[in-house]
Amino acid sequence: MALIRLNGVSKSFASRHGTMSIMEGITFDVKNADFLAIVGPSGCGKSTLLRLIQGLDHPTTGEITFRDKPVESVCHEMAMVFQNFALLPWLTVTQNVTFGLEALGWPIDRIRAQSERYISVTGLEGFEEAYPRELSGGMRQRVGLARALAVEPAVLLMDEPFSALDPLTAESLREEILQLWRDPQLPPEAVVLVTHNIEEAIQLADRIVVMARRPSHVLEQVEVDLPRPRDRKSPAFYELTDRVYSLITESGTPRPVPAVASPTSTSTSQPL
Amino acid sequence: MEPDTSIRSLEGGRGPAGDRERMPSASPSGDVFRPPSAWSNGRQRSAILYLLTPILAGGALAATVGLSLGSFAGYIPTAAVDLFYSFLRMCAAYVASLGFALAYGYYAATRPQGERVMVPVLDILQSVPILGFFPVAIVALADLTPNSWVGPNIASVFLIFTSMSWNLVFGVYESVKTLPIDLREATDSFGVRGIQRFRQVLFPAMVNRLVYNSVLSWTAGWFFLVEAEIFTTNKGGALPGIGSYLSFAAGGHNGTAFLTGLVLLVILIALLDFGVWRPLGRFAERFRYDQSPSGEGDLGSSGLTNTRFRRAAAYITRGVRSGVTRVSTPLVQLAAIPFRSTAGRLRRNEHHPALYYGILGGILVGVWLLLIAIIVAIFNVFSSPLLPSVRGQILELPLAMGASLIRVVVAFAFCLAIALPLAVLMSRRPRAARVGLPVVEVIASFPATALFPVIIFELLPYISGEGAAVLMLMTGMLWYLFFNLLSGVRSLPPDLEEASRSFGVKGRGFFTKVLLPGIFPALITGSITAFGGGWNTLIVAEYLNVGASQKFQLLGVGSAIDIGYAEPNGLPLMVAALLTLVITVIAINELIWKPLYRRAVEKYRYD
Repeated sequence: MALIRLNGVSKSFASRHGTMSIMEGITFDVKNADFLAIVGPSGCGKSTLLRLIQGLDHPTTGEITFRDKPVESVCHEMAMVFQNFALLPWLTVTQNVTFGLEALGWPIDRIRAQSERYISVTGLEGFEEAYPRELSGGMRQRVGLARALAVEPAVLLMDEPFSALDPLTAESLREEILQLWRDPQLPPEAVVLVTHNIEEAIQLADRIVVMARRPSHVLEQVEVDLPRPRDRKSPAFYELTDRVYSLITESGTPRPVPAVASPTSTSTSQPL
Repeated sequence: MEPDTSIRSLEGGRGPAGDRERMPSASPSGDVFRPPSAWSNGRQRSAILYLLTPILAGGALAATVGLSLGSFAGYIPTAAVDLFYSFLRMCAAYVASLGFALAYGYYAATRPQGERVMVPVLDILQSVPILGFFPVAIVALADLTPNSWVGPNIASVFLIFTSMSWNLVFGVYESVKTLPIDLREATDSFGVRGIQRFRQVLFPAMVNRLVYNSVLSWTAGWFFLVEAEIFTTNKGGALPGIGSYLSFAAGGHNGTAFLTGLVLLVILIALLDFGVWRPLGRFAERFRYDQSPSGEGDLGSSGLTNTRFRRAAAYITRGVRSGVTRVSTPLVQLAAIPFRSTAGRLRRNEHHPALYYGILGGILVGVWLLLIAIIVAIFNVFSSPLLPSVRGQILELPLAMGASLIRVVVAFAFCLAIALPLAVLMSRRPRAARVGLPVVEVIASFPATALFPVIIFELLPYISGEGAAVLMLMTGMLWYLFFNLLSGVRSLPPDLEEASRSFGVKGRGFFTKVLLPGIFPALITGSITAFGGGWNTLIVAEYLNVGASQKFQLLGVGSAIDIGYAEPNGLPLMVAALLTLVITVIAINELIWKPLYRRAVEKYRYD
């Protein structure tokens, strides 16, 4: 069953030089229990796509539905984890975690219980009264994650959540996210992860939407059916990485000759 | 001056961009799609507005006064000559400011003692109400120069100079300071010096900041020039100039004469803007090297109009910041020496700052009393004994100071009530900004002091003396607050706004949790500069006398300075009132703004 459905989504805006198209004809589904990664080169509109999905921005043409209803305003059954954390520097960890809960108008007891739970789930105990600037990058992103999970979203949207972290911290946080994902007690029914890191996508996701840019379009959807936990050094892992990598690099050459036939990509795309 | 990273990052807003995706080049704001900048096509609009506003305003006023155009012509020669005098003063002050700024700024930036001595000295000078020293300068120079014409002119040029020069100095200083190190090393390594060094390295590095700061300097200069000229009308031999012209015209209830002067002034300011500052701004654009990762590029290349006041606000802010964070005024520093260790401990211990501030306040009051006593004693010994009326007014000074303080606070409250919603509207509604911002900038570049006489003599019956004073103070305070708040709201990191939308935080929650804390540092710096503007405006907002029948006087420290200047044997009163004002300003800076500012940078900054 498709939780989120994108159907022919395009986004363009008027500039001084005429209409500029950012993305064209994006079509894919996010299914229940799907861990979906969107991978593509920098500038291919991945982050914009994520914002379109939540309804923070609106497509020029095409439709996005959530549980078969069109997304018209900001959908609060989804929650976002931001690349640069987007924590409020003047609020404590607890206050940041309850940021979204208070907006939902929950009673205070429930808010408190909920924030305690997710502070503990994300390993932030002992830092409740700390301010974000007193935390390391990894801890900050835990706050971002706790804030998003606390509203118990149906879909967790993650916008390059590890790219502002150092590699070691990113690696351990990825492991923890996988553990949280495997826990059936915990909320999100589906996760949409935006990343430019192919290995990260293969390590985490069940399915990868590979995108090309200018205007961005879906090159291919790649199923990741490697058994978990995934071994980065295994030949299968390497092969898959290589395949996605070639997809992206071949699409990035000045004259786009789609090496792989893609049902959703527009062949009329022109390099800008 | 150490670069204050906190506000720089505040201006940059976005923080480390990492390798976030970039949209096609037409989108200026980074990763997420946003509509093209709202500021980009405001330029022509603002140009049209600039032309239209004076014409429309002039036309509307003329219609309401209901006079034929013919009667204006009679006043044009007088008004034009007076305006020419004013213009000459402005030019003289500007040339002096520029020369001073180049020399002082360069040496402050390149000599080791610059950091330690020259910049702090400048900070102190900039934080005292310069206008208060104007009467002292006039009196002193009048005594020194036999010709009554020379003294006031030098004094007024000096006043304008002080209002113009400090931000030019900071502009030069920062330009030299922010010159990339490798560029400086290359210059040294090739032995480039003298004229070539200036022409090829220093001047290109400075010209942008100099032009933008010059625009600001001229705006401030006009304000103070008109104010100074109005001030001199209080005592016979007024300085011929547009300020005194307007003052007498309004005092004589001569609407035609007043309007003629006003329109000429507006035309001159518009001409300067179109003939000098805009071409210079375009010229300066060529020398822009974008090394800064901060928000400057984010403001877009929309030209002089739309960015200059926000830049100006940023420069003012920077100036204030350095002034506030730097070691305090020497007086306070001197007073603080005996208990410095105690103070240091108190400062670290956040729970008991009250004692420290109590002691500081006590010392300031003590210093004030002592200085007043010394002044009175000096005048008693070396000059004639104090007249009873003067003594009475000196004894009344605390009351007068209180009255002035209340006026400034009330005016500030009104300004905040206007500026905050306006700034939020202008930065969150691109359409409102497109129309509103150019209008605001045109209004802000007009010296409001030119309207003071008409506020005093025509509006007084409707809004009472207190209302008129508060209104005048507001004109001297509003823009500092508005442009600071505007840059504050605009530099709110977009991802915080996005997170708020994403989690459905809006309305009151958004205001109290995101917006207000986010702009708190800008609010504090805006308040500091606005109060600075208010203190400077006090001197003409409480007293005006253009003849026995036309006298406006309120109880206040500003009017005490004026009375001390205008009346024979009033010098001790003038000096005492000035001291009262200066000590109060220092006290408010030390006891209120510095602690608030420290809190602002500690808690309410982005990093």
